[in-house]
Amino acid sequence: MGSISIIEVKGLSKVFKGKIRAVNRISFNVKEGEILGFLGPNGAGKTTTLNMLSTLLRPSEGAAKVNGFDIEQEPDAVRRSIGYVFQEPTLDLQLTGRENLDFHGRLYHLKKEDRKRRIEEMLQLVQLTDRADDLVKTYSGGMKRRLEIARGLLHHPKVLFLDEPTLGLDPQTRHSIWDHIQRLNKERRITIILTTHYTEEADFLCGRILIIDSGEIVALDTPEKLKAKLEGDVVILVIRNPTMVLRARSLFEEKKWVRRVDVFSRENTETSPDLKMEKMHRMRGVSRIGGMMGEMGSGEGGSIRKQKPKRHEDIPEMEIDDGNRRKDLGSKQLNLLVDNGSHRIPEIVKLSEAAGITLESVELHKPTLDDVFLSVTGRNIREEKGSFVEMARRHHILQQARGKRGVG
Amino acid sequence: MQTLSWQAVYVVLLRELKRYWRAKARIVSSVVQSVFFLAIFGLGLGGLIGGIGDISYLSYLAPGIIGMSLLFASVFSGVSVIFDRQFGFMKEMLVAPVSRTSIILGRIFGGAVTASLQGIMIMIVAGFMGAFEPSLALALGAVAAVGVMFLITSGFVGLGVAIGSSLNDFHAFQLLSTFVIWPIFMLSGVFFPIDTVPAPLQIVMLANPLFHGVELLRWCLLGVGTPLLGPFGWMINLGVLAVFNVLMIILGAFLFSRAQV
Repeated sequence: MGSISIIEVKGLSKVFKGKIRAVNRISFNVKEGEILGFLGPNGAGKTTTLNMLSTLLRPSEGAAKVNGFDIEQEPDAVRRSIGYVFQEPTLDLQLTGRENLDFHGRLYHLKKEDRKRRIEEMLQLVQLTDRADDLVKTYSGGMKRRLEIARGLLHHPKVLFLDEPTLGLDPQTRHSIWDHIQRLNKERRITIILTTHYTEEADFLCGRILIIDSGEIVALDTPEKLKAKLEGDVVILVIRNPTMVLRARSLFEEKKWVRRVDVFSRENTETSPDLKMEKMHRMRGVSRIGGMMGEMGSGEGGSIRKQKPKRHEDIPEMEIDDGNRRKDLGSKQLNLLVDNGSHRIPEIVKLSEAAGITLESVELHKPTLDDVFLSVTGRNIREEKGSFVEMARRHHILQQARGKRGVG
Repeated sequence: MQTLSWQAVYVVLLRELKRYWRAKARIVSSVVQSVFFLAIFGLGLGGLIGGIGDISYLSYLAPGIIGMSLLFASVFSGVSVIFDRQFGFMKEMLVAPVSRTSIILGRIFGGAVTASLQGIMIMIVAGFMGAFEPSLALALGAVAAVGVMFLITSGFVGLGVAIGSSLNDFHAFQLLSTFVIWPIFMLSGVFFPIDTVPAPLQIVMLANPLFHGVELLRWCLLGVGTPLLGPFGWMINLGVLAVFNVLMIILGAFLFSRAQV
């Protein structure tokens, strides 16, 4: 165990409407018993890949085997080998939890005895036994998700596909779903492929992470190794004045000890409210030197907490570069990747002062997967590239094209 | 993949039954609505007209009202594939190792069974209201009528599925309801016999599958047919209905299988 590949993907592509390459010649293997995470922003091709592997979509090029079965030649065998928990809820709300499972069991031709036993077992696994006979419409979001996971496992699949398993769930529920996923993997040796655009989730759950961007694999490794590749620390400078941002950028780009400089608008890097708690947990080990450099007169306070949190990270704040200009008015931040960050901070502050740059705050942290994502794709995971209109158009076409041809 | 799985057909049908049974308010309201039609039109218009041929207006009306209820229940059941898509349950069915044809046949037969159950309830209520003459012939006719109901409803669920698979949202259904379903209902000979309308309208009515369904129900339950089609009119009715039924099921299954998830 461990060395056998349960999924083999070779040069898989999906082209929608003859022009949009949602997935571009990706190849990878998944070992039996591992948790592999697809990390990427919306529209990166994660769901499209899962849909091809689950035979819901026919690939345009390439081939793949799931549990030894070819996805194009033996779709039924592939479908029996996998459980798929979709991104959006797919339960029948008018049926009870048990009836939803029973429907699934019958649809997958489980024999009566096996079906009954398996339903009980799965209900217990996700701790829904006492609510099993209530209508699903009375369930909470987390309970629905757990029921879907139970259902995905009912027919003894070898691989479980989880598409954004904790999207839209509150932090406690998210942690409980994480626990369930980990237990499944450890105790039952189920191979799990999940997609996420939460770096925290990928970091916490996955043995290996496949970073996918615009349909291509840009990195594939363990979270530790991915982070280790970024030697040094990340120093974040928060600056309010836009011209100062540019000045600071050119100032630090010249320094040899700065390996990388990236500029973000402050809002884009703000995590959604439901991820905030986790973010705060992680930040405990982080030194914050907030506000002390700020001008006394500004008074508006530049720390993150006071900024208006963005509600939907799925629809990021964007700069529209044609037509009506809606420039971001919030603070900017400069991410500097440097060696030995804590010792560099005094120097950074001194250099900034000398150049007349007002720093609102300075933060220091170890590289996270956010930084890894940034370094391999050149942009923030919560940021979409291109103008808003262009992105909306692409998203719309993808949505339309995606479902167009299912292999029923 | 493309083989038909009767197990899957059965499971999907079972789900339809469960969901139908759970929506008791809907069952009660549709039966009561039909009773209102029967009572108010039967007594009101009946008092004015007296009867049609040898039969009372209430008796004439009853098979038509059953047909009306079958039409609305079955088209709505078919169109509700939109809801399955909207609430995501469709994906759960489509990722299973069974063909889309099995799923849609289960959906169509499930819808036909539930709509027919409703028709049977209205038939029984109409019987208690005195619409039918109790006899051995009626008992046999009622059994035949159940078969006819299934034929009518499976055809119209098929039509509903075809509509539901082509529409993207439920709002467009309002238009279809006004321009397709209501005309089908109004021109099916529920309230007036075909030989009382001008010839062009007669042609339209003859092209209406529900007209043949209602005529057939009338023949089963009252033993009468329209003089327009002669004594063997019921065979024509049955033939047209059967062709409609097969065509609609095929059309529904086809459009469903190529619809986006």
